[in-house]
Amino acid sequence: MAALFLAVLLPTLFWDQPADTADTLRKAGIERLYVPADQVAAWKKAGFAALPFDRAHSTKAAAPAVEYRMDVASATRIPWVDANGWRFAREPARSYFYDAPKGSAALAAAEAYAYGVEAAIHVAPDDLEAFARMLKFLGAIDQPRLPVKANIGVIDDGSAAMGEVLNLMARHNLLFRVIPAPDPKYDLNLRLGTGEYTRESIANPYAFAMQIRRRLTDEKRLLRLYGSNVVLALLTGDGGQARVHLINYGGRSVKGLRVRVLGSYARGRLAAFDRDKAELQDYGVLDGATEFTIPEMGTYAIIDLTSP
Amino acid sequence: MNRRKFLQVAAAAPAILSAEDHQLPKYRIVSHYTPAAQPGMPGPHPGQVVSVHAEGCIDVATEKPSAAVVGEMMARGMRALTGDADVRDSWARFIAPSDVVGIKVNCSGAPGIMSTPEVVAEIARNVVAVGVKPDQIWIYERFQEQVNSVHYDRYVPQGVHIWTAETSRGSTESYDPATYVETTFFDEDDTRSNMIRLVSNRFTKIINVPNMKDHGAAGVTGCLKNIAYGSFSNVARSHSGAVTNTYSFIGTLASVEPLHSRTVLQVMDGLRGVWHGGPFSPDRKFRFYPKRMMFGTDPVAIDRLLLDIIENQRKSEHALSVWDRSASHVNPEARDYERNPNVNHFVREPGHIQYAASLGLGVYDLDKIKVTKIEV
Repeated sequence: MAALFLAVLLPTLFWDQPADTADTLRKAGIERLYVPADQVAAWKKAGFAALPFDRAHSTKAAAPAVEYRMDVASATRIPWVDANGWRFAREPARSYFYDAPKGSAALAAAEAYAYGVEAAIHVAPDDLEAFARMLKFLGAIDQPRLPVKANIGVIDDGSAAMGEVLNLMARHNLLFRVIPAPDPKYDLNLRLGTGEYTRESIANPYAFAMQIRRRLTDEKRLLRLYGSNVVLALLTGDGGQARVHLINYGGRSVKGLRVRVLGSYARGRLAAFDRDKAELQDYGVLDGATEFTIPEMGTYAIIDLTSP
Repeated sequence: MNRRKFLQVAAAAPAILSAEDHQLPKYRIVSHYTPAAQPGMPGPHPGQVVSVHAEGCIDVATEKPSAAVVGEMMARGMRALTGDADVRDSWARFIAPSDVVGIKVNCSGAPGIMSTPEVVAEIARNVVAVGVKPDQIWIYERFQEQVNSVHYDRYVPQGVHIWTAETSRGSTESYDPATYVETTFFDEDDTRSNMIRLVSNRFTKIINVPNMKDHGAAGVTGCLKNIAYGSFSNVARSHSGAVTNTYSFIGTLASVEPLHSRTVLQVMDGLRGVWHGGPFSPDRKFRFYPKRMMFGTDPVAIDRLLLDIIENQRKSEHALSVWDRSASHVNPEARDYERNPNVNHFVREPGHIQYAASLGLGVYDLDKIKVTKIEV
């Protein structure tokens, strides 16, 4: 994909409807988009910053979603989250393409933005309004990106098995960063084939991820979530500031999500998509950690934390 | 001891396991509330139970209760518990006019079985009679969809609140972020179970109104399970596969302040009962009719009696004992448990009652429990 929209790293609409739908896009506030190559001229004539979409040079992202699988044994519904964060963390420089099923375009935009990857999103016409609202929200909260904060440094061997481990760590909010070589600033450094991380131990990726969790210990985790199994988090920060990205894959609002961030931050500010007046509740700093509650969140929320 | 080893041992020796036999999870209790001088559990009447039977309290054919008989059972039960001649004096020993009263009902088996509306209404009426305004009374339960079919509003005094913590399953905004038990059972992501905010911040007294029910995980569900699992979030995580941590989790939750101190009265509603398939009751063939209510302040003592009630009923129906721990009878992968009283879903943990006694919540030893029996 030609990286021509890098001035603002917001996800970009891929629209394959004819140019006579221009009014629909204008009403939604869309000004720039990818279109099929043979429609570029028509869209430019209609006044849009249109570029041809080149799928051959993009990596397909999975449709973000949640699947509820009935666990017969415990009569509970165990959600399985399909997310791309682990993939983006692994290859952040790639350009990605979402063919977003109906109802998922805004979520795809939030996910791509949170991880700072370039992405084109094919949006179903019914989703255009929500997608445009998300772009507006992202534009309003955009700021220079802070470094990713993580507990675990991963030396990625590129294998499918390691990919599944990364997926499961992301799924369980075990914050990691892919790094070229072990770095003592991380609580754990994970390289397959060294020490206790044998290649055989990765045969069961879930067990392996939980082994990493136990080795790290929950007490050391930079970020914990309580009250949802379908919200995934990304933490960035530098010095006395941090930004928590919360992405809700569940398709419905989450009420009362409790967040714990390691470190003392005196102030927190919430920006929640489609919840203009939402504010953090029950904010407190205790025992070297900052905790607060998101009263209600839809697809995406960002919390900016600052210390004096 | 790992899980596999645990099951092997259980299969080899189907017997009551003690705390030493269980590998207990590590619990971290977070609460800034301090216990009352005399906590509500076991309260002023440890080891005492008043058991009131009335043949006419429910029509077995229609399952319709008699409000008049229920009223008589409650009046005599409460008077016997406190030794007062006037029932208002009995209630006044537990409830003051300034109290904000939570009534913890059980609706997990509704509409087949639940805290009977006539029983709950009679409790509310007595609380009002000692001077509590109706809008200071809250009937509470965790799940809205379980309460919907019961319609308490048609029975209780106008102004009494009927409230649920989770209008949609999993929502946590009604729980207190500062009062919780943290533990991990099965590597679950959410390791906290938070107390209902009304319980910690608003109620000054709680009346517990469980049913007489079998329970696939806990063995039976009575006072302890109702007040514990019914006042905290995220408790179903204690079960997975054939294993359940109800043995220690129920008592641990019940002992958290201020729930421990503010739960001042236990009224076990045994007009109906469930001898298999509990806590739910989709199939009437597993219901029975003890026609009994039990009154007390000691949840352990009442639950100890409940154990025998459920066990005896199961025995008469040729069902597995609630104490059966045989792996060969456990099938967590099938739905047979709901239909077959000789299949267990989990390795049952009726020992949770004795464990709760070890936490100081009441008296477990039958020889030390004084039962006052009344026939209406």
